[in-house]
Amino acid sequence: MHGHKEKHAFEPKIVAFVCTWCTYAGADLAGTSRLQYPANTRVVKFPCTGRIDPVFILRAFQKGADGVLVSGCHPGDCHYMAGNFHARRRFAAFRQLLDFIGVDLNRLQFSWVSAAEGGKWVEVVTELTERVRAMGPMPEFRELEAEECWSGAIDTPELKEAYETIP
Amino acid sequence: MNNSAQTQSIDPALYATATEAIRAEAKRVLEAGTVAAVVGWQAGRRKGSALPAIVTDPTKADTLVFSPACVNNLALYLTKAKKEIRQKGRLAIVVKGCDLRALVGLMGENQLKREELHIIGVVCPGVQGRGEATMAAKCRECAVHTPEGTDVTVGSLPDLPRFTPVESEELARLEAMTPAERWAFWKEHFARCIRCYACRQLCPFCYCEQCLCDRNRPQAVETTPRPAGNMAWHIVRAMHLAGRCAGCAECERACPMDIPLNLLNRKMAKELKELYGHEAGFEVQEKGPLAQYREDDDQSFIK
Repeated sequence: MHGHKEKHAFEPKIVAFVCTWCTYAGADLAGTSRLQYPANTRVVKFPCTGRIDPVFILRAFQKGADGVLVSGCHPGDCHYMAGNFHARRRFAAFRQLLDFIGVDLNRLQFSWVSAAEGGKWVEVVTELTERVRAMGPMPEFRELEAEECWSGAIDTPELKEAYETIP
Repeated sequence: MNNSAQTQSIDPALYATATEAIRAEAKRVLEAGTVAAVVGWQAGRRKGSALPAIVTDPTKADTLVFSPACVNNLALYLTKAKKEIRQKGRLAIVVKGCDLRALVGLMGENQLKREELHIIGVVCPGVQGRGEATMAAKCRECAVHTPEGTDVTVGSLPDLPRFTPVESEELARLEAMTPAERWAFWKEHFARCIRCYACRQLCPFCYCEQCLCDRNRPQAVETTPRPAGNMAWHIVRAMHLAGRCAGCAECERACPMDIPLNLLNRKMAKELKELYGHEAGFEVQEKGPLAQYREDDDQSFIK
């Protein structure tokens, strides 16, 4: 039943923001169907893709995600009629902004996975995981997290000298 | 092409005529009692400077001016963020073409009613940027010298040379870079940010009573002026202004750390125009591009 588990040097952290009505049920179906897929994904459930604020994606990257997946119902299937249509526009704009800031868009994946598409969920997650694994860890936001504006510069010889001269 | 765009090269008589016309109009509406106050500019203490002014007395209408120093976007004074001015009653406001776009945007967002305003448009040949003599980057590629749809329009437009579009060139330069280069560019700029929020205070569209970025529990954006929070703040700011920003570039003017903020706004405006054919601030629209949808919107980026 269980396939051979490969050992990798790098296991990426993937955060998946999913809607409860379609993709979460789809992921559940993948599980109940005993489909195998990489365990790198942390699923966060939302009522609707329309509830997923771009800030969440930003926050995921800042807190150490190497890749982010946003997934919801196919257009027209939204439980709230139009949530995914609004989300589609918002994310179309947001990914352009991230691209302009300099984030590699290969780390950010959007998809539509319905409750019946357990197989597609496996496919999407596997593809994203392998792609991000090949890209390696995402250093940009994590480095920013660790940085202080003044670190290093506070230790200049001029400042030290000034400090010494304080009576 | 004119690389050294100077506001001084524009005939001062043009500004003087506009000033006279603004004063006359302000006096007229104040005396007639159709408005309670006129929002305009007055001369600053320092020679060649100007600052926003609110005139309620017709005898004080003569303090209003229009000069290359009239950089402020006065639409800000009509937003929810400045409640005390709105309470005065019906208002007259002096606007340049770019300010009018912000006003139109605010009307679309139900922040203002057209019938409650008396709009005095002023034909603007350009205002100064950083350094008194140079013309602001936004004015070099201005397409709204003459405000449309105002109650009165004053002033006239001289023959302007074609200026070098410095901002478009910079935008194109950034777009041609690799993501890593762009990241380095913005990282360097945002690292300087001191989170004074001048960009937010001056923005006519940042009128939320509580900003997402001031909230904790849950905290969306770190408030400390550290690189991580700075990056998040500027991304969130650009995202919240996408499809709304009318390009007055006040954020960039007010930034004490010289961060090229209008590049982000320009980029988002450009993308939304490409994606949804939307341009902010030209007509009163009930819903912006991110508040509406079409069933056949592009979804090539979604698997």
